[in-house]
Amino acid sequence: MDDLTREFLIESQEGLDRMEQCLTELEERPQDAALLAEIFRSVHTIKGTTGFLGFKRLEKLAHAGESLLGLLRDGKITADPPVITALLELLDGLRAILKTIEAQQNEGQGDDAALITHLEQLQAAARSPSPPVLPAKPARRAARTSQPRRSKAGAEPTPPPSSGFTAATPPPVAAVATAEPQPPESSKPAAVAHSEPIPAAAAPAPKGRATESASAAESTLRVDVTLLNRMMNLVGELVLTRNQILQTTAADPRMTMLSRRLDMVTADLRESVMKARMQPVSHVFSKMPRMVRDLCQSLGRRVRLLMEGQETELDKSLLEAIKDPLTHAVRNALDHGIESPAAREAAGKDPDGVLTLRAVQEGSHVVVEVSDDGAGIDVDRIRAKAVERGFVTSERATQLTEREIMQLIFLPGFSTAAQVTNVSGRGVGMDVVRTNVEKIGGKVEIDSRPGRGTTLRLRIPLTLAIIPALIVRSLNQSFALPQASLSELVHIPPEQAARAIEWIDDAPLYRLRGSLLPLVFLHRLLESGRECQLATDRDNFIAVLDADGRRFGLVVDSLADPEEIVVKPLSAVLKDIGLYSGATVLGNAELALILDPGSIAQHAGVAMSSEDESALSIDESTSDGAAKVEYLLVEVAGRRAAVPLADVLRIEQLPLARIEYVGTQPVLNFDGQLLPVEDAGAILDAAPDHAVAQVVIVVCRDGHRQVGVVVSHVLDVAAGSSLFEAGTGIPAGSVTLLKEHVTGLVRLGSGATIPAQPAAPADSSLLMEAAQ
Amino acid sequence: MSTAGATLRRKQKAEALVEVCSVRVESTLFGVPIDHILEIVGGARPQPVPLAPDYVGGLVHYRGDVLTTVSLRRLLDLPAREIPSDVLVLESAGGCFGLLVDSVGEVLRVSAADFEPNPSTLDPRRGALLAGAYKLKDGLLVMLDPQRVDPLRLGAGHPARVQSSAERASVRREPCER
Repeated sequence: MDDLTREFLIESQEGLDRMEQCLTELEERPQDAALLAEIFRSVHTIKGTTGFLGFKRLEKLAHAGESLLGLLRDGKITADPPVITALLELLDGLRAILKTIEAQQNEGQGDDAALITHLEQLQAAARSPSPPVLPAKPARRAARTSQPRRSKAGAEPTPPPSSGFTAATPPPVAAVATAEPQPPESSKPAAVAHSEPIPAAAAPAPKGRATESASAAESTLRVDVTLLNRMMNLVGELVLTRNQILQTTAADPRMTMLSRRLDMVTADLRESVMKARMQPVSHVFSKMPRMVRDLCQSLGRRVRLLMEGQETELDKSLLEAIKDPLTHAVRNALDHGIESPAAREAAGKDPDGVLTLRAVQEGSHVVVEVSDDGAGIDVDRIRAKAVERGFVTSERATQLTEREIMQLIFLPGFSTAAQVTNVSGRGVGMDVVRTNVEKIGGKVEIDSRPGRGTTLRLRIPLTLAIIPALIVRSLNQSFALPQASLSELVHIPPEQAARAIEWIDDAPLYRLRGSLLPLVFLHRLLESGRECQLATDRDNFIAVLDADGRRFGLVVDSLADPEEIVVKPLSAVLKDIGLYSGATVLGNAELALILDPGSIAQHAGVAMSSEDESALSIDESTSDGAAKVEYLLVEVAGRRAAVPLADVLRIEQLPLARIEYVGTQPVLNFDGQLLPVEDAGAILDAAPDHAVAQVVIVVCRDGHRQVGVVVSHVLDVAAGSSLFEAGTGIPAGSVTLLKEHVTGLVRLGSGATIPAQPAAPADSSLLMEAAQ
Repeated sequence: MSTAGATLRRKQKAEALVEVCSVRVESTLFGVPIDHILEIVGGARPQPVPLAPDYVGGLVHYRGDVLTTVSLRRLLDLPAREIPSDVLVLESAGGCFGLLVDSVGEVLRVSAADFEPNPSTLDPRRGALLAGAYKLKDGLLVMLDPQRVDPLRLGAGHPARVQSSAERASVRREPCER
């Protein structure tokens, strides 16, 4: 294929992509002249170039479409759904021919007569009921469309047109349109207002387009992705060489400046190359309007699609990877989320459902949300289905919270069953969505409210090539653990090692905040015959991992630094082992295998947490009286008190001098933000008055505010259960049972019975009751 | 006699002299046709890969990529060495791989007339890796067929792999001992 044709194919594909997007928008704003002009331009450009390249079939089809679009643009007909459907068919037709050209260098033998006739019929239909005022325009249009066509399609042996003959030379469609309206040429004044911008815009349009694309062509360049990948590799190599240079030249003062400069340039280069691989998510989003439209028609839904954050950028390979999950999620939202217009009206909702696609960058992740305002997930149905399919026992199912029930839809096999039996409830292929997203190091979250809708959140890392990882050591070797699946680290000092592990038969377990965590010993996994025992002569570390919904602790010998690692693929032989997802070169030039937490869990037989008792202890809904809630146990002026762990943002230890006062209200200037401090135990007043005195502040969430609570010590984290007042069965509000002691709660957000802060009564929404 | 060996012989008869890179493992001199070699990395310390098939010598860093190596010692059932080894970077259908040898010697120009196919008495397992030998003045230069030591091909039916997956299964089944 010659370069010219290839260029033409790429450009036309892009034009058609734009056209597709515009068409779906056009449905909402049928009068939008800019949209129509854009669509017209896409088709026109194709037609112009095809004539030049000699693709007759393509030209013919494009011409038929152009004629219809011309009428549309002139306001002769409106873009009602049948017209848009026809234009979408035209689009598909053009695409099909382009594909054939790409595959076999010629247009193929397909017959577009039916489509062309259909397009012509629409034009004819538009013409017949035309009001008498308008006929001036078709003449202009015909003259206009034929003009650029002839000038571009130089290969066509058309005789030079005389002004009177113009109308007859274009194919029959245009001829029909122009034959009739010759006489009322005098009606110009009436039409001027409407048609005035058209000749002005239409004639120079191709030229304007040409200059526009010329300038774009000068400032942009098409680059092969494999070249970018290679650049990325080389930059990785450069980073490594730089690290080694920095290490070896550290002692030499003459090299310091040079190596520092090398360091900076390398960092910049790496960033630029990564940037070059980024593409806006609109590349994926732009496919959605068409899909939503088609699905709505086949499913009988009425849906408005909103898209936000299309400019958010993501690595190209990741963008490819989320295409399928996203399509699936949208399909699901339309099929199971949004109800039929009738059902919506019955429920008192707007018959038009709203589907929102939103992309936003949050730190090193891009969050892509698919939310609908449909019926939400029917928890009871899922519960029933899960029991029926044997995923959970019926008594377990009744204990599961709604949140946990929703997680069940991600179980493989659950979805297919739901589909086959047509039991609705958001189940179709959700495991596929999760698997695909987790494959690229992302996460899927789901949130649903009955009757209000469902939100599916895909959390995608910014780039695949470089991931944050924790380097751990085992068997005297370094391994990289992706941070994405690491939830916390537990340190077990040698003196506790002997008692830290508990056993059920031959399964080692660790008691983490009251729940049992299954343990996997990395050295044992990698080398059979090793003992499952913590070392008593050195520190031990447990990396608590969450992967594919499995939670377990990986015991490693030691921890090294967290590092941003460049992921290198492994050969098939080593990938087949199933424990490693790749390899990387560390800063000290050592190679490290990247562990795949999901596979390790599978290897070691760790069950999904939905079947795992340990995952059930956290329950944030306090509506259930017997529910266990986790608390931070603190000591305030000699008494024990507790703060719900969910409300704790962080714990700060800082010099007493940092506490300032507004009136008598203690406050803390925290990163430029004012944090009100509550000192119910009068610890601040009692504190020794010298410069080195330290205070411990627990920063808590109180609704949308933050409050600092002064405590003497932080004791522990423990699960507490509600206490019932004798004889009433009502859980007592301000106390909980923690470690067999009744403990007062630091209650945030209530204003009653506080030892009130006289200086700032408005602020004192904090209650501390230290019972016991 | 395999077809690969036959083609090798035919090719060598056409051109009188063949360039072969000589490598040494223990006392044996092996030869690798020079046109299959991309590069030679000296003094490599491959990073071992736990649970990998026996013939895998480990990973080495090569031009920004992580290269899987095949240990010639392991293929020949020799014990592994701790000292740095040389790596021949070879081209294969599935990308590149490294061949881990004790040391790389000089490039020899050998005459096709001195080529002999594998003897019939050779252990078939060894014969699967070797493509014959050149008779040198002071000994034999045993030819390795780069395609036959490709990890992909070794992985697709070499006994070492079967053994390792059995071992893997046993890791999973064996209960942890306290």
